Amino acid sequence: MIAKKVLLVGNFGVGKTSLIRQFVLNEFSEDYISTIGVRVSTKIVNLNDEQIKLLIWDVAGTKDDEKVPKAYFLGASAAMYVFDLNREETYLNLKNQLETVKQLSGLKDVLVVGNKKDLLTPNEIEQVKQIIKIPVDLITSAKENQNVEDAFAILAKQSLK
Amino acid sequence: MENQPVDHKKENRFELLKELLLTEDRKEFESLRNEFLKKEDFKNEVKPVLDDKIDDLKNNFPLYFGDQVTQSIKVQIRESQDEVVEALYPIMGKLIQKFIVAEITKLSDTINKTINDKFSLTHIVKRLFKGKKTDAEDVLQTVFASTIEEVFVIEENSGLLIGSYSRGNIADKDMISGMLTAIKSFAEDAFSKQGQDLEDIKFETFQLSMYNFKSIYIATATSGVITSEFKEELADNLNSLAEKILRDRSYLADEIRLNSLIEEILIKVPA
Repeated sequence: MIAKKVLLVGNFGVGKTSLIRQFVLNEFSEDYISTIGVRVSTKIVNLNDEQIKLLIWDVAGTKDDEKVPKAYFLGASAAMYVFDLNREETYLNLKNQLETVKQLSGLKDVLVVGNKKDLLTPNEIEQVKQIIKIPVDLITSAKENQNVEDAFAILAKQSLK
Repeated sequence: MENQPVDHKKENRFELLKELLLTEDRKEFESLRNEFLKKEDFKNEVKPVLDDKIDDLKNNFPLYFGDQVTQSIKVQIRESQDEVVEALYPIMGKLIQKFIVAEITKLSDTINKTINDKFSLTHIVKRLFKGKKTDAEDVLQTVFASTIEEVFVIEENSGLLIGSYSRGNIADKDMISGMLTAIKSFAEDAFSKQGQDLEDIKFETFQLSMYNFKSIYIATATSGVITSEFKEELADNLNSLAEKILRDRSYLADEIRLNSLIEEILIKVPA
């Protein structure tokens, strides 16, 4: 079985851990889950009749003041940048954040995911997309388990590139 | 003797009197009899229902009263903590004492056996030719022999597990190797100067050691007393293992072959 390291990056409280929980354990905790540093979990996904073991590194952030060891980003085959659709500060600096992830990991593409769609109306989501300007690959809701599997399937596919 | 004539009139009167006097008693008797029979009927009616109820209670007692009983026990324990401790203390003390005595007996048996062996004629001859190892080290090593419990061969940057050996039953080795790599990266980033690597993590009963090579690192979990001799031997064996893997990189893509190589070199299982 092929094993791949994939990254989940984004600010505190954007729902990265919840996305992983929904995907890996198929459950969601209502508690506010903030990640300290990094947490590794695994999940086997089937892609085109092939099994891939994803080693998911849930990384706390990318800013220098967050003191995240740069080594966390090394050797990754794909990365997902998660932001909170409901919190402006998590996507206002998205372009720079994506560049940092690309630089640290050496990856060309990073999957951009807007989480917590359950808190916004479709109109509000459109407005956020216009503010961001960068194409958003997927809009998810970890709480309502919407598009979570899809997000990780795309990530798995990217890891094989 | 002359027979006395029967006085029928007198007899009838007596019967009449009896009738008059006992009517009340008879009525009372009849009423008591009815009441008794009613009770019997009632008993017969109710008994099966009661039996069923009792059986149901017996079977489902925890369901009906579990919460209340637990709650009241909790309250009771909370309110009488001192008494509970006082009651349990001697029992627990005896158990602990028994356990310690058993363990010390086992330990002293092993030490005695080791010392007897060490002072046997054959061993005394061997000691004349032995190296720097002291007698204390010798005894300790025999009593608490070092055992390699786990081995992980991990890709340096990604933390992906390439090969492993395990005496126990670890649930998700990939996740452990990932977390181990993360902890290693964190410790190296936070505390070390450039080029320094995290080498050992010590627990109460075992030691986790990490040996870094160019593109891989090997983590071993060892239990028992880790003597300098054991450490040297382990380092030598790990070097041989890494050399073999890095010279023949096909091991990196073949987990089963790599696992047998780990067993052959580190655990000394014949290939």
